[in-house]
Amino acid sequence: MKKSHIALIIVIAVLIGAMITAINDSSSYANFAEAFANPTDEFHVVGQLNREKEMIYDPLTNPDEFVFYMYDINNEEHKVVLHKSKPQDFERSEQIVLIGQAQGDAFHANEILMKCPSKYTEGEVTAKAESNS
Amino acid sequence: MTYPGEHLTIGQIGNIFTVIAFAASFMSMVAYFLADRKNDDTYLRLGRISFLAHSLAVIGMVATLFIMIFNQYFEYHYVWQHSNTDMPMKYIFSCFWEGIEGSFMIWTFWHVILGLILFKSVKGWEAPVLSVISAVQFFMLSMLLGSVIFGHKFGSNPFTMLLREHPDFSNLPIFENVNYTDAIDGRGLNPLLQNYWMVIHPPFVLFGYATAIVPFAYAIAGLLRGKYIEWVKPALSWTFFGIGVLGIGVLMGGAWAYESLSFGGFWAWDPVENASLVPWLTMVGAGHLMLIQRKKGVSVLSLFFLTTITFCLVQYASFLTKSGVLGETSVHSFTDLGMTGQLAVSLIFFCVLSIVLIAINYKRFPTHEKEESITSREFWMFVSSLILLVAAFIISFSTSFPVINKLFGTNLATTGERIDYYNQWITPFAIITSLLLAIGQYLKYTKNDMRSFWKNISISAGLSTIIAVASAIAMEMRNPIYIALLFTSLLATTANTHYWLLFLKGKMKSASASIAHIGFGLLLLGVLISTTESEVISTNSSLYDISVLGEDFSNNENILLMQNDTLIMGDFFVSYRGKRAEDNFIHYEVEYMQPNESGELEKQFTLYPYLQLNPRMGNVAEPYTKHYLHKDIYTHISYAELEDKSEDAILEEHSVGLGDTIFTKTSFMVFDSLDRTPQKRFGGLTENDLAIGAHFTLFDVNTKAHQLEPLFVLRNREFSMTVPDSIPDLGIKISFDGIDPENESFKFRILEEAPKFNDFIVMKAIVFPGINILWLGCIVMGLGSFLSVWQRIRRK
Repeated sequence: MKKSHIALIIVIAVLIGAMITAINDSSSYANFAEAFANPTDEFHVVGQLNREKEMIYDPLTNPDEFVFYMYDINNEEHKVVLHKSKPQDFERSEQIVLIGQAQGDAFHANEILMKCPSKYTEGEVTAKAESNS
Repeated sequence: MTYPGEHLTIGQIGNIFTVIAFAASFMSMVAYFLADRKNDDTYLRLGRISFLAHSLAVIGMVATLFIMIFNQYFEYHYVWQHSNTDMPMKYIFSCFWEGIEGSFMIWTFWHVILGLILFKSVKGWEAPVLSVISAVQFFMLSMLLGSVIFGHKFGSNPFTMLLREHPDFSNLPIFENVNYTDAIDGRGLNPLLQNYWMVIHPPFVLFGYATAIVPFAYAIAGLLRGKYIEWVKPALSWTFFGIGVLGIGVLMGGAWAYESLSFGGFWAWDPVENASLVPWLTMVGAGHLMLIQRKKGVSVLSLFFLTTITFCLVQYASFLTKSGVLGETSVHSFTDLGMTGQLAVSLIFFCVLSIVLIAINYKRFPTHEKEESITSREFWMFVSSLILLVAAFIISFSTSFPVINKLFGTNLATTGERIDYYNQWITPFAIITSLLLAIGQYLKYTKNDMRSFWKNISISAGLSTIIAVASAIAMEMRNPIYIALLFTSLLATTANTHYWLLFLKGKMKSASASIAHIGFGLLLLGVLISTTESEVISTNSSLYDISVLGEDFSNNENILLMQNDTLIMGDFFVSYRGKRAEDNFIHYEVEYMQPNESGELEKQFTLYPYLQLNPRMGNVAEPYTKHYLHKDIYTHISYAELEDKSEDAILEEHSVGLGDTIFTKTSFMVFDSLDRTPQKRFGGLTENDLAIGAHFTLFDVNTKAHQLEPLFVLRNREFSMTVPDSIPDLGIKISFDGIDPENESFKFRILEEAPKFNDFIVMKAIVFPGINILWLGCIVMGLGSFLSVWQRIRRK
């Protein structure tokens, strides 16, 4: 057998190993029910901000804590504690992805991704600003 | 209804160019293909004419769109969507490639430029190579057509008009005005892209992507003609040119992220970043296999595989970013324009084409019987190329989770600690690659005397060990894997320098490989040091202990700075001095100080991190960095109160006697005397007025005394009026409302604004040591790649 064949076999072995580990290492998308059922595991939870309820950000006490309420895709609502500063333009978010785990009665997130309605707003055309017309 | 202000002609010209470019690419593909099959000059001439027509049309398209943006023809959807009148002219290029259509256009433009260069220089390979390029162009231009064929819309046309071709808009009141073109303004450019890196990074990366077409076209041409080896020679220089361009382009993206995105670093393993890195890795692999092929011969299968997969991965990168499949997993992918299917078809077509052609020809591939010696350079180069392929595969696999989820209905997601996750995966590959980079140089092709190999390598190995140990101790680096990478990247740098100086006598003529490898070694070194040794110095200064929540939640990374307070942060004392609004930017002034010999704080530098306000796209925090030679101090705003949220003022009435004290929220005031002749304070008093002043001494929170004297006035001794007094700094205003002679009490009204606590910011600051090594490495590596191209051109 040629050495390059041996190298190839090693490569394939590494690849398979990598794939299995990558899948095992990965977290998964879930709803609140799943996340709260498995409080030790990390999940990605997609949902929407509850605009009715309060958002608490008190940087004087802790700039790295922001509390709000979110509905998941099944409309289940939970308190969320984000261990980061309040993201810019948070109120405008259309969709939120939280990465973290359930703890007690709240979902504790270390990461947050937001989708804002920024990119494409159909049916909205603005006139030039005063100074330019 | 006609609209006299619309510029209709230019849109029609744009559309004509698009149709010509599309049709001519098809003609050129077919004609060149037949010219190669039938060896017929008529077809060859037809192919040439079509390709030239195609090239002119593509250049025409680019020019047309550019003119539209330049002249701000907002009646066109693309111009309206990506620019506005407020935008500085220097970002006009960013507008051009902000959208999918523009970025496709610039990509096809680079293909045309490359095609035209090949046209002149290709010699003997013209027909098949240009046929492949035309085929790629055919697919790409179909993404720009925007016409409906058999009920399916193909592509998205950049020359459509807001009013007519976008029915959603046509009912808007603004279009009732026949001169609406005078009134309309665009939506404007995404604030994240209003940055000089965004002017050069996208075209550079797209140029890098475009270069992958040349080796691919040669490889396909080789397969079509059954010339499995001959294509390598002309493709080689192009591959290394591509490695240089794409490598620099990818790192420019890193520089953009570092300079203007607030995610805290130059590389976040974002899917879009990964998608651009992966083809670079396989391109480097392919380039090195080509080198072996030129010297000694290599497995033809692996050569074809790496060359074609590089191009397919470029197509895949385009698919990932432009189809919208990444969705919420990436900060900077495009939104879906309904081209997912079309992009997928294009991707699958080129993958299948490559696989089928390789499969058909596989039996006829020249076998490469000779067994490489394990001590030969070619063996280790081959192994390195495979390692790069594996690394590329691993990055792709995790990046493709959203695609895998779509295809198989799974719901995989990368972990929250995405950066750690990838770093951990890729570090072993970096160690092996850099080690091989060092070893490879001392090995000759074919066979080696191992004694001289060990002797040669021992010098640089010894030197690297000393530096690695010393710097690991200095940086308190404990992780053995990082120390290993520190050593191997140093070894790669020193070994290649040593080899160049000693064996090549420092000559530039054959220095390209050494220089590129030195650059790569430095790059890894810079990545390692700046990543592992970076330190978030802005830890939470509050008393609240966040770590009680559990180990996972100790990411204290932001500091709260009240205006003019001075807090300790890392080696510095920092103070937030105030903010300044300028256009749509708010600059925050943050002063960094250090104690001098006499113990006084001395200003070192001031950073101005800023927020870019954009009502439509959202506000963006942009960092500001202090660059030193050996480290950077990077600062960005995490949170700032934008509106002045002073709460409602409190109004209180008091009835007090002389000598009493009134308490307010933030102060107290003593009513110490009555002043019966307060004329000085109020020039409007007449002789008939009776005025009484109530004198107060007010003490604020700092026990500083202030004097207040509100007046009670009886005008003409008939009707009363008050002359209030105030201390604006404290937000206190007092009015003297009346006198109650029976109780000997005096009535006052005190208006106190809610204690406005000072302006504050929440800020993050990170020290990145050694990041300049990274940028230096990038430049050196790029120079090495271009040098190799130049040398090959000169040798011809």
